[in-house]
Amino acid sequence: MITLYDYELSGNCYKLRLLMSILGIDYKTVPVDFYPGREHKSDWFLRLNPLGQLPVIDDDGFVLRDAQAILVYLASKYDASGTWYPRDNPELLGQISQWLAFADGITSTSSAARLHDGMFYDFDIETVRAGAHRLFRILDEHLWFGEQEGRDWLCSADHPTIADIACFPYIMLSEEGGISRQDYPAIRRWCDRVKRIKGFVVMSGVFPAGPAKAA
Amino acid sequence: MLDQARTRWHPIAAAHDLPLRHVFHGQLLGREFAVWRADDGYVNVWENRCLHRGVRLSIGINDGRELKCQYHGWRYSNRTAGCTYIPAHPADAPARTITNRTFPAVERYGLVWSATDEPQGEVPEVAGLAEGEFLGLRGIPVNAPADRVVARLRGYSFQPSGRIDGNDAEIAVEAAGDFSVALRAREGGAETLAVFFVQPVDSNRSVIRGVLNSDAEGAARLAVLRHHNERLSKLRDAIEQEAAQAPAPEPIAPQFERLPAELAEMPELTAHGRKAALRVQVARKWQAADGIAGFELKPLSGLLPTFQPGAHIDVHMPNGEIRQYSIANGPGESDRYVIGVKLERDSKGGSVCMHESVREGDVLAISEPRNNFPLRRDAVKTIFVAGGIGVTPLLAMAQALHHQELAHEFHYFTQGESQLAFRDRLDGLKGTLVPHLGLDPEATGAKLREILSVYKFGMHLYLCGPGPMLETARKIAAEAGWPEGAVHFEYFKNTNKIDDSSSFEVALARSCMTLKVPAGKTILEVMREAGIDMPSSCEQGACGTCLATVIEGEPDHQDVYLNDAERKSGTKIMTCVSRAKSARLVLDL
Amino acid sequence: MQQSRCTDPVILNLWHPLAALVDMQPGVVFDTVLLEERVSYAHDGQGEAAAWRSFAGLPAGAAVEIDQLVETLPVKVAYGYLWTSLGTPGELFPIPEFAEADRRKLNAATLGVNVSAPRAIENFLDMGHFPYVHTDILGAEPHTEVKEYDVEISVERDEILATRCRFYQPKASTVSTEGADVDYVYRVPHPYCSVLYKSSPADESRLDVIAIFLQPIDQEHVRAHMMLCVLDDENEDKIIKRFQQTIFGQDKPILENQFPKRLPLDPRAETPIRADKSAIAYRRWLSQKGVTYGVIPAAT
Repeated sequence: MITLYDYELSGNCYKLRLLMSILGIDYKTVPVDFYPGREHKSDWFLRLNPLGQLPVIDDDGFVLRDAQAILVYLASKYDASGTWYPRDNPELLGQISQWLAFADGITSTSSAARLHDGMFYDFDIETVRAGAHRLFRILDEHLWFGEQEGRDWLCSADHPTIADIACFPYIMLSEEGGISRQDYPAIRRWCDRVKRIKGFVVMSGVFPAGPAKAA
Repeated sequence: MLDQARTRWHPIAAAHDLPLRHVFHGQLLGREFAVWRADDGYVNVWENRCLHRGVRLSIGINDGRELKCQYHGWRYSNRTAGCTYIPAHPADAPARTITNRTFPAVERYGLVWSATDEPQGEVPEVAGLAEGEFLGLRGIPVNAPADRVVARLRGYSFQPSGRIDGNDAEIAVEAAGDFSVALRAREGGAETLAVFFVQPVDSNRSVIRGVLNSDAEGAARLAVLRHHNERLSKLRDAIEQEAAQAPAPEPIAPQFERLPAELAEMPELTAHGRKAALRVQVARKWQAADGIAGFELKPLSGLLPTFQPGAHIDVHMPNGEIRQYSIANGPGESDRYVIGVKLERDSKGGSVCMHESVREGDVLAISEPRNNFPLRRDAVKTIFVAGGIGVTPLLAMAQALHHQELAHEFHYFTQGESQLAFRDRLDGLKGTLVPHLGLDPEATGAKLREILSVYKFGMHLYLCGPGPMLETARKIAAEAGWPEGAVHFEYFKNTNKIDDSSSFEVALARSCMTLKVPAGKTILEVMREAGIDMPSSCEQGACGTCLATVIEGEPDHQDVYLNDAERKSGTKIMTCVSRAKSARLVLDL
Repeated sequence: MQQSRCTDPVILNLWHPLAALVDMQPGVVFDTVLLEERVSYAHDGQGEAAAWRSFAGLPAGAAVEIDQLVETLPVKVAYGYLWTSLGTPGELFPIPEFAEADRRKLNAATLGVNVSAPRAIENFLDMGHFPYVHTDILGAEPHTEVKEYDVEISVERDEILATRCRFYQPKASTVSTEGADVDYVYRVPHPYCSVLYKSSPADESRLDVIAIFLQPIDQEHVRAHMMLCVLDDENEDKIIKRFQQTIFGQDKPILENQFPKRLPLDPRAETPIRADKSAIAYRRWLSQKGVTYGVIPAAT
C-alpha cells in the first residue's frame, strides 16, 4: 500500500491525491504539520527527504520525493490505460517533461506568492507575482491555440496526461497569492476541463465544476 | 473620455469564450461581469456579485439553465437573473424581486458586446466586415489605458492574410475612433482589413480584440492567427513598457446599486391584488394530450418575470373569466411560460374559451407568477403524484429536480396513454416517470397505498390532481405514517360548498382598522372596499395567495389550501372564502 | 508618538491578537502589521511578553531582552496568544472554558486572508454555506435548511449571542456513519473575534470551543488566528489542526471573492434572509458601536 506524506493545503501533495483518485489507487496518508509546525524540517522527516520538502511517498518500502517525479512513477506503474504517461510515445514523453518543468516554474512563482500571502513566507511578492503572470500568459496562449487546433490538453494528445495534473493545482490556487486569472480565459476553460476528468477530487481552495452538458 | 464610454457598446468577450457550462469573468470600465451562455444559447451578462453576500458569480456554476452561487447555492434564472431558489429556506419561494443586475448582450463579429450603462444606439456596424466572413483574433490583454493602446495600434503593422510570409505590407489607417482602429494591409495583390476594438477593462487595463475581414481554413488560418498573436504581443510589451513609465491611474471603483427597500429586511407578503400586470402573446398552441391544449406564452417585449417550480399565473380571458394555470416549464426556460389547459365542458367557459377562441398570435393579459406551492429541494427523496391535468406544477418541479440530479419518482395517473400530456417533457425525466393508466378509483387507491407504503425521514410528497384523488392520497399517506409537514398538495379548485351566512367583525392589527363582514360578502371583499390592497388569485380557497395570519379568534375554514395541522393551529386563514366562528377575528394585516 | 493610520477609536482601543505563543521562539524578535503599522513582539518563555512599534535597530530575528525595552505597547497573554493594542484597551472578553484542565488547547494556524475582518466574522457565523463550501464535512446537499434559531445582543456583556443553532452534518462524529443535526452556539464578544461552541463528539454533555481571532493588517487584509479548545483524548495535535485548516482553506476562496471586501452596513447593500439573523445583528451592532474600520458605514 502506498503511504503519502501529506499536508492538506499543499498543492504539490494534492497533485498526487488527484492522480491517485483518478487512477483509483488506494493509499493512506501520514499528515505532516507543514504549517505552522514546520514538521517537514523535523529530524524524522529529513531522514525521508533531506530536502525537507513535501510530498514524499513510500510504496511498500520504495521511497520517492518530488511531486513531478512521483506523478511519473505512479502513472508508469499503476495506470493500466497507459495514457497518463504514455511510455511508448517519445514525443508525448518529451512534451510531458517540458510541462513538468513548467509546473516547477509555477510552483516557484504562484505557490510562492500564496505562501507569502497566506503563511507569511519571506518572498519578494511583486517579483513572484510578475513571474506567475509571465508563465500564465504563455500558458493561456498555448491553450488558446490548442482550442483552435482541436486540442484540449497541455500535450498533443486527445486525453489529459500527468502534465495537466502537475500544472493544475497552483494555477487554481493562484488567487490566494493575489494572482487573478481574469486575463487568462483559455486557462479558466482548461481548469473546467480538468475538473470534469472522471475521478477528479477537490482540495481546500478548489471547488468542483458543475456537470458538462449531456451529449 | 471614459465617462462617455459608459453609454457605448464595447466588446467584453469573444463568442468562443462562452462554451456551454462555463462562466466567463469579464470586466468593463471597472465593473466586473459574470458572463455565461445557457444551453438554449442565450448570453447572460450579469453583475459579478451574488445579491446575498457579494460573492463573485464567476466562481459559481453554470448548469445550463441557471447560475448557482458557490457560497450558499442560490440559483438565478437564465435571462431574467431572478433568484429561483434559496436552499437555506427550502420551504419558501424567494421574493420575486431578488433579481441580479443584468447588462445588455449582443453577439457580432464573433464578439459579445455590452455596456455598463444604458447604451446609446446599436452595436457598431463596421464597413468592410461582414457577419459570417470574418476571422476573430486572440484577445490580447494589455496593462495600459485604452487611449494609449488605441494610439499605438494606429502604428501596428501586419501582413495581409494572403501574403503572410512577406515583410513589406503597406498599412493604411482606414478609420479610427476612441476605442477602435481599422487598418488595411496591402502587398502585391493581397489585402486584408483588420479592425481592432479596444475594450477599456479598467483605467489601466485593456483588451485588444481584433477581427479580420476574411476567414481562412486549416493551416493558413492558424498561420494568420499566429502572425497577429506574435505581432500584437510585441506591441503589447512595448505599450506596457511605455505605460509603466507613467504613474498608474487609480482603478475605477464600481458603485453597486442599492437593493429595493423591501429586500433590506426579510420580505413581507407583497400586496399585488388580482392584477394582470403582463401582456403575453400565444407563440404556440398545440394539442398536448387528448382534451388538453398546450400554450406557449411569450412576452410582447422585454423579459418575463422569474418563476419557480410550482408557480401559477392568472390568465384573463377574452370572455372576462379569470383562471389559474400552473407553469410547466423546466428551470431556466425563462423566455416563455408553458401552460396546459384541460377542456371542461361543464365549467363557466374559461377552458372552452382557451380551447376554441384563443389562437396563436393572440395577446393575453396574465398576472405575474405567484408561488404558493413551493418545492423543497432538501428532500432525501421526493415523490410526485399527479392526476390528469394536475401534472403541470409537478412537471415543473420534477424537471428542476431531474436537472439537479436529486432523487425523485414521478407517478402520473391518467385514463389512458393518449391523456399523458407534455410527452417531450415527460421523456426528459427518463427513468423517474411511472405512468399509471386507466385505473378505477379502487385500483388507484391500491396503487397509492403501494407508492406511499414507505416513509423515511427527509422524504417529501407532492400531490396535484382531482379533489377525490387528493383526499384519498392524503388519507393513505397519513395512514402510512407520512407527517403532515411532508405532504404538499394543490387542488385545482375548491369543491366545498361555501357557507357565507355568518357575520362577524375583523380587526386588522397593523392597519388599526375594524371591519364588519356581513353575510354574503367575503373578508377579502370587505377589506378591498376599505382600501386594503390584498393579493388574491383564484378567490375560491385553492391557490393560497390571499393567506393571512390570525392573531386572535377562531377561523371557520372553508378552503382546500391549508393542511389539517395548519387548520387546527388556527393561525392562518384564506380570506377569500373562510370566515369566523368567533364574533371577532384579529388578523396580522 | 507616531500618528496611527487607523482613526477609528473603537478599533484602536481594542486588544488585537498578534501570534500564538507556541509559534514564537523565546527571546527572538518577530514582526507583523497591525492596523497598517509595523509592530514587533517577543516573549521570554517565562510568561513575559512585549510588543512595540518596530524600529530599525531591532529587526525581526534579532535577539532581545524583554526587560530592556522602552516605549512598549500594552500586552496581554490570553488563550495562548499575545495580544496588544494601539490605544487604551479595556478588558478582553472571557472564554471560561479555556480554564478547564481536560481540554486540548491549540493554535490550528495563523493564516493571511485578503478580506476585511468583519466579512470573515460573518462567514464564521454562517451555517447556510456548509453544504456548498464544506461539502461532506460540515454539511451535504440536499440537507440545506437553516432552521430557526435565536439571536440576542447582550447589553450587559456587550456581545452577540446566537443560540439554538442546529445544522445537519453528514458524519456527525468520528464514530458515527449516519448524519445528524449538530448544535452550535455562536458568540461575538469583540468586533473582530468570535467564539463557537459545538457538540463534542467525545463528550455528549459538553461543547467543543473553536474561536477565530482576526488581526487586522489593514481594512482589507487580516491574519486569522484559529484557537481550538476541544475535548479529544485520541487524536494527535496535527490531526485536530488539519481538520480546522481544511475547513478554513475551503472558506478562503469565498472570502477572497467577496465584493466589496469591507462589510457594507447599509441594510440595502445586500439581501439578508432569515438564516442571516446573526449577521444582521452583527451589522447593527457594529453600526451602533460606530465602527468604521473594515466596514462601509451606512450613509446617515
